[in-house]
Amino acid sequence: MKSHFDGVDPILCPRDPKTGEPLPPRSQPGYYPGFSTLSQGAFWDTATRAVVDKRVKHPPEPKFFAAEAWTFWTTVFAHLIPQTDRIPERQIPIVATLDHRLANDQTAGYRYETMPPDRVVYEIGIEAIDREAQHRYRGKFLVLPYLEQDLVLKAIHDGKPEAAQEIWKHMSVHRFWQMIMGDAIDAYYAHPWAWDEIGFGGPAYPRAYTRLERGEPEPWEVEEQRYVWLAPANSASAEVDSSPSHHAESGQHSLPVRSSKGARR
Amino acid sequence: MKKPLLGEFETPSSNKYRVGPLQSIHMPMRRFREYEDVDYVIVGVGSAGGVLLQRLARAGFNVVGLEAGPFWDTEHDWVSDEAGSHELYWTEPRVTGGTDPLALGANNCGKGVGGGSVHWAAFTPRLHPSDFEIYTRDSVGADWPITYDEIRPYYEQLELEMPVSGPAYYPWGHPHGYAYGPHPMGGVGNALIKGCSALNIPVSIGGPVAILSGSHGDRPHCIYRGFCIQGCKVGAKASTLVTHVPDAIRTGAEIRDRSMVSRIELGKDGRVTGVHYFDNEGHSHFQRAKAVIVSGYAIETPRLLLNSACPGHEKGLGNSSGTIGRYLMAQAGNVVLGRFEQPVRMYKAPPAHALTEEFYETNPKNDFARGFAIQTVGPLPVAFGKQVLAAKKAWGWGLRREMMDYNHWAAFGLLGEILPWKDNAVTLSEDKDCFGLPIAHVTFNLHENDKKLIKAAREKTEEVMQAAGATEVVQEARYAHLVGACRMGSDPRTSVVDKFGRSHDIPNLFVCDGSLFPTQGSANPGLTIQALAARTADYLVSQGERIFTSNERDMTTTPIRRELAPPETWGKGVPRLK
Repeated sequence: MKSHFDGVDPILCPRDPKTGEPLPPRSQPGYYPGFSTLSQGAFWDTATRAVVDKRVKHPPEPKFFAAEAWTFWTTVFAHLIPQTDRIPERQIPIVATLDHRLANDQTAGYRYETMPPDRVVYEIGIEAIDREAQHRYRGKFLVLPYLEQDLVLKAIHDGKPEAAQEIWKHMSVHRFWQMIMGDAIDAYYAHPWAWDEIGFGGPAYPRAYTRLERGEPEPWEVEEQRYVWLAPANSASAEVDSSPSHHAESGQHSLPVRSSKGARR
Repeated sequence: MKKPLLGEFETPSSNKYRVGPLQSIHMPMRRFREYEDVDYVIVGVGSAGGVLLQRLARAGFNVVGLEAGPFWDTEHDWVSDEAGSHELYWTEPRVTGGTDPLALGANNCGKGVGGGSVHWAAFTPRLHPSDFEIYTRDSVGADWPITYDEIRPYYEQLELEMPVSGPAYYPWGHPHGYAYGPHPMGGVGNALIKGCSALNIPVSIGGPVAILSGSHGDRPHCIYRGFCIQGCKVGAKASTLVTHVPDAIRTGAEIRDRSMVSRIELGKDGRVTGVHYFDNEGHSHFQRAKAVIVSGYAIETPRLLLNSACPGHEKGLGNSSGTIGRYLMAQAGNVVLGRFEQPVRMYKAPPAHALTEEFYETNPKNDFARGFAIQTVGPLPVAFGKQVLAAKKAWGWGLRREMMDYNHWAAFGLLGEILPWKDNAVTLSEDKDCFGLPIAHVTFNLHENDKKLIKAAREKTEEVMQAAGATEVVQEARYAHLVGACRMGSDPRTSVVDKFGRSHDIPNLFVCDGSLFPTQGSANPGLTIQALAARTADYLVSQGERIFTSNERDMTTTPIRRELAPPETWGKGVPRLK
C-alpha cells in the first residue's frame, strides 16, 4: 500500500492535537476544501490570467544562485515557510521567485542604510547562518537536524545571533530577517494554491465581488470548514506574539512576551 | 477552461491606449521638437503633473510632460495581482535611514503616467481650516502661505472632476457634502462603524473616496474587487491617467513617457532654459522651455533640484534658503489588525471606504499637538503576510497558521500627523543610479510630539477595534504618504517657493506636487495635491506671457477658472452645509 506520507518525512508533518499522530500531507491544506481560484480563470481578464498561469506552470529557471547557494536557501525557506503539510507536487516554489528577482536586480525601491545591497545580503547571509550553526551545534547549517536548523534561524528571528558579529555589524539582524521572510511571503502568498489555502478569492475583474458584508462567500467561493492541527513536534516556529501592542516602531527588534497558542484551535 | 468572459483583447495598435474597459486615448498626440521653445515643461505626470498638463493645454499653452515611467495601456499592463503590479511603483535605487527609516517604493512612490494616483487607495478628505495655521494656533510646525478659504474652491472643483463619492454630510473641518453617493460597506467598514458607534465616535461611511459608486461618462462603477493599490483596471478609481490626461492629449499636450529628467539648465540671465533628460534607450536630450514645473513628488523633486546645482546655485538650484529636501513628512500609518470569530473577508470592497476624523484637531487634554484619523484598510494576502510578520513576529508554522485565518481579520489604519522637522530630509547619496545620477538618501526621525501622538492614536485605534468585537488586536508600525521637502512659504529664507509654487530664486521655475506642503494634517494628501495644481495652473494662466518674460512677481490671487476643467465635470451641484 502506498504510504500517505509518500515523499514527506512524517516527523516533519503537522500533528493531530488529539492523538499526537502526524497528519498526512494534503493537496490543499487550509479550511476551504475544494476551493480553487484557478478554476475561475475564465472570469479573469487576459493579462491577469497570463501572469497567474505563468506563475503556476512556468516558475523561473535558476539564473542567479549557484547550485550550492540554491540548495542552501531552499533549505532555509523550508523553515521560514514550511510546506510539509503539502504533497510534494503541490509545494510552492520560493527560491525560484527570489532567484528571478535577484537575477534582474529587482528591489523594493530602497535600501536601508543599515543594509548592504540585496544581492550581497543573500551572499553574506549564507556565511552568517553557517557561522551561527557552527557556533551553536558545531556543524554547517545544511548538515544539522531539522530542529537545530530551526533553532539557528530562531536566534536570528529573536535578534540574538551569537556568532559572525563582524557580519552583523554591517547588516541589521532585524532587516535581514525582514528581507528573507519578505521574500518567502512574496513568493508563497502570491501563488494561487496559497490563495486557495487561506480562502482569498483572487482576481475579480471583470466579474466583480458581490457579497461584501458579513464575510459571506460569493456563489463560487467556499464556506470555511476548520480543522485542528499542531505544528510538528520538532519545530521551533509555532509560537507567535499576541500581546496587544508591542512596540515594533522604527524597526527595533524587541523581545516581546511570548505565548504559545499552538493548541488553541 | 470556459470561454473567457471578455474574449480576447483587440489587436494592440500604436495609436490607441486603453485606460479602462470603455475609455481609450487615441494617438497620435501632438509632438514638439526639442529645439522648439515650448511654454512649459512639466517634470513628472502624476497627481499634480496630470492636472497641470490638462489645464495649461486647455488654456492654449504649448506644454510637454516628461514622465520617467511608461504611458499605461491599462487593459494590457495592469493585473489583478499583488506580485504582478511591481511596475507601478518607483523602484529605482534609494537609501533610507534615520532613527525611524521610511519604507519607500510601493508604500508611497509611483512611476508611469498617473504617478501615485495610479496606486493610491483614493481616500480624498480635505485638510481642515486649522491645518493652514498650526504655528499660530499651537506654536508647532509652520503656517501655510494660504488659507483654507483660498484652496476651498479648488477642493470643491476637484471633488467633481475626480469625482469623489462620499456622504451627504461630512462633519469635520469645514463641514461639507459630496455630490456623488457613498459606497456600500465591506467587512472592514462595518467593523469600523461598529467599533466607533459603540464608543460614540462619529464615522464617515462610504467615503470620501475618489472611486465611482455609479458609472460616470466613459468610466464604469466600482466592482469591489479590492485591488485599488494595484491600479484600477476597472477605471472606477480616479487617477490623473483617466481623469485629466485624456483631455490634456485631446487639447494638444504632449506626454513623453520613459523620459528621465536629469538636470534643469540655468541660463546666464538667471532663468531656466529647459531640461536635460534620458530617453528609454539611455540617450541624452535637451528640451527647451520658457518655464519649467517640477512635479516629481517629495523625493524626486528635491533630488532633481539638488542634482541641478550649478555655478551661483552650488547648494542646488533655487536653494538659497537651504531648505530644499528639508521638512520632509510622512504620516504615521500604523496598521491595527483585529481578529473576529466570524469571517470578514477583507479583500472585498476598496481598502478605502470608511473613516473617522473625530481626533483630528489639537485637544488641550492631550500631551501633544495635532491629531489623527482612523481609516479602513484591506490588505491582500502578501501585504497581510508582512503585517503578520511584523505585528506577531510570526514565521514558519506560526505564520502558516495565522495566514490560514486571513479571512477572520480586519485592518484599520491610523493616519497621524507628524510635524515638519528640519532634520527629516532628502539629500544626495554617494551611490549613483543607472544614468550616473546621485540617488536620494532619505533621513527620517520621529520627535517627541510625533511619538506621543502615535502612541495615543494607536491606543485609540486598538480601542475601536476591540469595541468592534475583535478577540485579538495587534499592530504594525508603519508610515504612509510623503510630503514636504520643497515647502511653500512667504519668507524666502525659510521656504523654497512662494504660495503659487514659484521658486523664490528663479522666476520661471516652479514646483507643484506634494513637496509644497508646509504641514500635512492627518488627511490623505492626494486631493490637496491636485487642488494646488489646479490653483497654480489658474495663476499661470492669469499671468500669461509675463511668466516667460518678466522677473516681476505678481502675488495677486485670481478667481477659479472652472472653464479649464475637463468638459462634463463641472456645473454639477455641491451641497453646501455651512
